[in-house]
Amino acid sequence: MKRLTLAAMVMLAACAKDPDRDAAEEAKNNGVPSTPASDLPGHGSLAQDNTTKEGPRLLPAEVYIQAYLDIFGGLSPLAAELASRGKEGSALFDTWRDYLASLGMPDYEKDISRVTQTNAMMLATFERVGIALCDRAAERELDTTPRPALATRTVFGFEPTAAAPTEAEFAERFDVMHRTFIGYPAKLAETPRTARFFELYKSVVAKHTEKGAPASGLTPANAGWAAVCYGLVRHPEFHTY
Amino acid sequence: MRRPLLAASVLAVTLAASSADAARTLTEYRYFRALTVDLAGRLPTRAELVAFEKPDFDLEKWIDTQLTSKGYADRIRRTYMDLLRLDVGATFAFRPNATMLRRQTILDPTGKKIHVYYRNGQRRAREATDGAFCFTRAEIGVAFFANGTVDGTLKNVDAAALAANTVSIKPWWLYKDYKSGAAAKDLYGKTFMPADSAWQLAPELLKDGDGVTDTDEIRVCKEEASTAESGTVFWTGRKALPAGSPLPYERLTALPLDDAYANANKGKSVACDHATAITHTTECGCGVGLERCMPSAGNGVENVAFVLPAGTMLGIDRPTSVEKTTQGSWNRQWWAQEAVRYLELIAREDRDFREVLTGKSTVVNGPLAQFYKYQAPATCCGNGWQFGYNKPESLFDPSKLPVLLPHDSANWKVVPDRGPNAAGILTMPVFLTKYGTRRGRAHVLYNVFQCRQFIAEDVKLEPSTEPDLTKRAGCATCHASLEPMSAYFSRVSESDWTFLPKTMFPSDNTTCRNADPKKMSGQCRNFYDPAFTSAAHSYLRGAYASAANADAGPAGLGKQIAESPDFARCVVSNMASSFLGRGLNADDAAMVARLEGTFVDSGFKMRSLVKVLIHESAYKSANNLKSDAWRAAEEK
Repeated sequence: MKRLTLAAMVMLAACAKDPDRDAAEEAKNNGVPSTPASDLPGHGSLAQDNTTKEGPRLLPAEVYIQAYLDIFGGLSPLAAELASRGKEGSALFDTWRDYLASLGMPDYEKDISRVTQTNAMMLATFERVGIALCDRAAERELDTTPRPALATRTVFGFEPTAAAPTEAEFAERFDVMHRTFIGYPAKLAETPRTARFFELYKSVVAKHTEKGAPASGLTPANAGWAAVCYGLVRHPEFHTY
Repeated sequence: MRRPLLAASVLAVTLAASSADAARTLTEYRYFRALTVDLAGRLPTRAELVAFEKPDFDLEKWIDTQLTSKGYADRIRRTYMDLLRLDVGATFAFRPNATMLRRQTILDPTGKKIHVYYRNGQRRAREATDGAFCFTRAEIGVAFFANGTVDGTLKNVDAAALAANTVSIKPWWLYKDYKSGAAAKDLYGKTFMPADSAWQLAPELLKDGDGVTDTDEIRVCKEEASTAESGTVFWTGRKALPAGSPLPYERLTALPLDDAYANANKGKSVACDHATAITHTTECGCGVGLERCMPSAGNGVENVAFVLPAGTMLGIDRPTSVEKTTQGSWNRQWWAQEAVRYLELIAREDRDFREVLTGKSTVVNGPLAQFYKYQAPATCCGNGWQFGYNKPESLFDPSKLPVLLPHDSANWKVVPDRGPNAAGILTMPVFLTKYGTRRGRAHVLYNVFQCRQFIAEDVKLEPSTEPDLTKRAGCATCHASLEPMSAYFSRVSESDWTFLPKTMFPSDNTTCRNADPKKMSGQCRNFYDPAFTSAAHSYLRGAYASAANADAGPAGLGKQIAESPDFARCVVSNMASSFLGRGLNADDAAMVARLEGTFVDSGFKMRSLVKVLIHESAYKSANNLKSDAWRAAEEK
């Protein structure tokens, strides 16, 4: 039903303007000779949406990497690369060089333009480098004894509860992370985001507590918080502005 | 009791804000985040969010502060670098014989491997080695092809031959105090530690020929070690060998012959700072500490020399990788950095944005100063000597350079005036090599600074012998505009920065006129276009559409574009499109007009334009226009 509603909205937007007239007008303005799309075989009855698409902008790759470095604790790119790889080498994080193009970075030398729309490779890269960020942060900020001072924790800026957190306890901690990645209090989200992430947290903790669960470098609770971090670092609102 | 305990365990800054954050709406938070991304180049910090949430937060003051930040300068630079893509890849080879030192490995009198540095094509008074490496096959057991390939088996060189043909030097790349000569002691990696990661020598340059001993001085052919400022035109009277004759001295390359320039200028004085010096004198070398030349660790066409930052989009001081690379890459890197720093300078100091095209100033560091002082002149003039052009008139007058050592890569200095021929980015090597042709240069400027495209109408191209593209049917649609624009670059060699002065290369050259262009001399053909040569005219290549534009040079084009009515609107379009993250449409016309008025009234100041732009409702709502609808649909 959701998909149908969405499709109807797009169709409505498409019907708001005459696409052929728009194309002809655009051609006139640009001096570009144009063939109306309706003249193309098979396009006669196809609805077209020629309106300018407006929506969240993709973070420039430079800003994304800067955010990554800041959240990693203000490291240089090379130091962050080393830290991200950790003892697992390229199993978790390859090199920045492998990721720059996927993140949309232009290459002036090779005349490759900046990518301003997401694509599958980009999303996969966000996931890979994001998970590296979260895992290393969990190791550094949650899994060490004693833990570093609260003010120096760039991702998990809170003390985990000794026992399983209540929803209120979770919400307070989640809000710290939400503000870090998304830039506003979680309670202002347009979706029941805190509740959803609490479910995620609980399910990951449960999976890690199950008998026969695969070995993990993190405690079940810390794995839960790392998973919350994965969710935020992959969230569309983190990558757009 | 539980709540206070919880609160104490969560980052204090978050809690400090919790009482006030209700005053901010989601739209306000998103606007603040967008401003931080666009003006500071990063996401807002937790502390900034706390400050933002306070009732007395002064957003306008915060914006003004950000508009003077490095992040803002980066943002403006990024917009125009995205449009101009000013970086040159390895496909633009830069390995001039005049300034590139190669090295051969030979055996010293004890049988130990040693490196000897030399310049390919160096003229030598000793005939056996003239124009080649400074030892004969008889002396070292091997000879070399032009590409550096070795033929033969090495043997120990005689001590007397070694002393006669080479000297030991403390070169500039190893010694910070190389100007002290033999007394230099500030050695790379010991007491001389370069200031930043952008200045690192390839490890190959730091070991002697045995691969073990640390290098503290190098051996170089004696002609290359010369510090003379001038020499005399070398004339040998040598005759070409009959076809099929064996090369003398067991050489693998022919002996250089006297060319027309040598014949005409035998014994005349020549300055050592241009290309003629290496091919026409025996006295001109690489100067004090070899500072006129660049090192390379091999005898191939191009060899490793430096370890350079790669992936410098966050800044050359914050690379995403470093790699061992060649001397050519070294130059290309700094050319690109000049444009980066120049655009940032204009943004940071909020200079008149027209300076991008017209400014006489620039920013240089040590490597760029070395390039402009030694390498650019040394690669000048090419066949220009046939017109008597052997003392370069540069786009960047070297006398305007600040005092910088080649190692000062982190020390950037503003040069207020590069000289009369300079014009913003238009005369920078990175622009002239990235866009190597006259038409290519004009085209990109037409696109980026006038927001116009050359798009052919729906015309049929008939076969034509009309050489004038401003008149040829079909071609004229674009070329009527393009040719006069490209004529402005007639005085800058293609894929090069050699400036051709009017005094030596008139737009219409009387000496090259010829009723039969096929009979033009070779020297005229090099610079003048046979298609536009007759008994009445002989036009400098590219100048036929407008001799006046050719004479005005790139500075003339920069001025023309900056003064055109399209310029301000194009800047506004580019910036608005960049900040809105989309192309502009008819609904944006009123906004564009407002912004254009602001920009022009402010004296073409980018800061004024951006400040108004980020207050436009189109910008404020750019991050949540359709997302609400999408989210609403998802929730149903």
